[in-house]
Amino acid sequence: MSAAKRVQQWATFARTWHIFDCKWQDPYQSAHVIKKYLMGMHKPIYHPMNDCGDVVLCINSREVALRGDDWRQRAYFHHTGYPGGATWTLAWEVHNKDPTMIIKKAVYRALKGNLQRRHTMQRLLIYPGEEVPEDIMQNVTNQIRQFRPVPTRLDHIPEDEVKQFPKVMEYPEDYVLK
Amino acid sequence: MSFLTRASCLAKNAILSTFVRSISTTNQLRLKQIHEYKEGSTLIVEATSVPSPNTELLVRAEKIKDLTPAEKPEHTCYMCALDLDVKHTDVLILSQFVRSDGCMLPRRITGLCRRQQKKIGKMVSMAQKAGLMINLTPSYCKKDPKQRYAYKKFNTYFDEKTIFMRNIPKPVDRFKR
Repeated sequence: MSAAKRVQQWATFARTWHIFDCKWQDPYQSAHVIKKYLMGMHKPIYHPMNDCGDVVLCINSREVALRGDDWRQRAYFHHTGYPGGATWTLAWEVHNKDPTMIIKKAVYRALKGNLQRRHTMQRLLIYPGEEVPEDIMQNVTNQIRQFRPVPTRLDHIPEDEVKQFPKVMEYPEDYVLK
Repeated sequence: MSFLTRASCLAKNAILSTFVRSISTTNQLRLKQIHEYKEGSTLIVEATSVPSPNTELLVRAEKIKDLTPAEKPEHTCYMCALDLDVKHTDVLILSQFVRSDGCMLPRRITGLCRRQQKKIGKMVSMAQKAGLMINLTPSYCKKDPKQRYAYKKFNTYFDEKTIFMRNIPKPVDRFKR
């Protein structure tokens, strides 16, 4: 095997590390995208029997956004196994307790329920904030594109830009400014 | 007691009705600002007319040359004619329809059609719930979405398709496997 071919072999089968910023992202939509990278489905050499999945590093999982009133509508079910051991926890309570749980559960549910699932989940690293250990951060070579644009708050836009923005509404003539 | 409350209501209405009267003794009604200042021992309250800040930057469909006219010209207001795809994250547009305490302005002031008023009003409340216009809130607000109570402190986004829906469908995350 020539040197060039050998490098190509390494590059093909090496695990790539991807980073995904969860800020203002829907966890259930982004789970679809993360799943593909975890299983290696974005590679042309993908095969279910082929161990070609990558590592995905999720940051800012505390800043995840759910749609509408999902935070209080969605319940997470758990059963201890004992009679009367069933509990239903609302999404915001789960997120209060552990800010990484929502994205973890979403990816876990997106994956197919086979023997590989737990091993695939081992390759998903989730951090609630932006602080990631240095030894993990130095492996990252790729960023996964975000699903939704991060919205800008009005008080974060400079004031003269707000004033200079084209206006649609005109006050009636007898309007008293408040 | 009930008579008393009714009387006070009437009195309130009387004040309000003088406030929005259409007949005036002055020449022309203009955008006004109320000034209070003291001159010696007398307090002077003055309503001075101010040029509207929006006039120079105003965008209207009639002024845009390349714009194709809207389908039903007889039912349109200026927002329908502009035919913009406004999202609840477009705070620079939505903040124009809002008072300084974050309330949506009524239709007699915004001059929108019924449908647009509903749509923009809902999007304003969406933006407020998402905490995107936190500086335009009542004075007792803590001005930080993360200080809110329970489920309200977490980030929320909205789908604009649900604005005119009777029943908002439950989110489905049954993944295709």
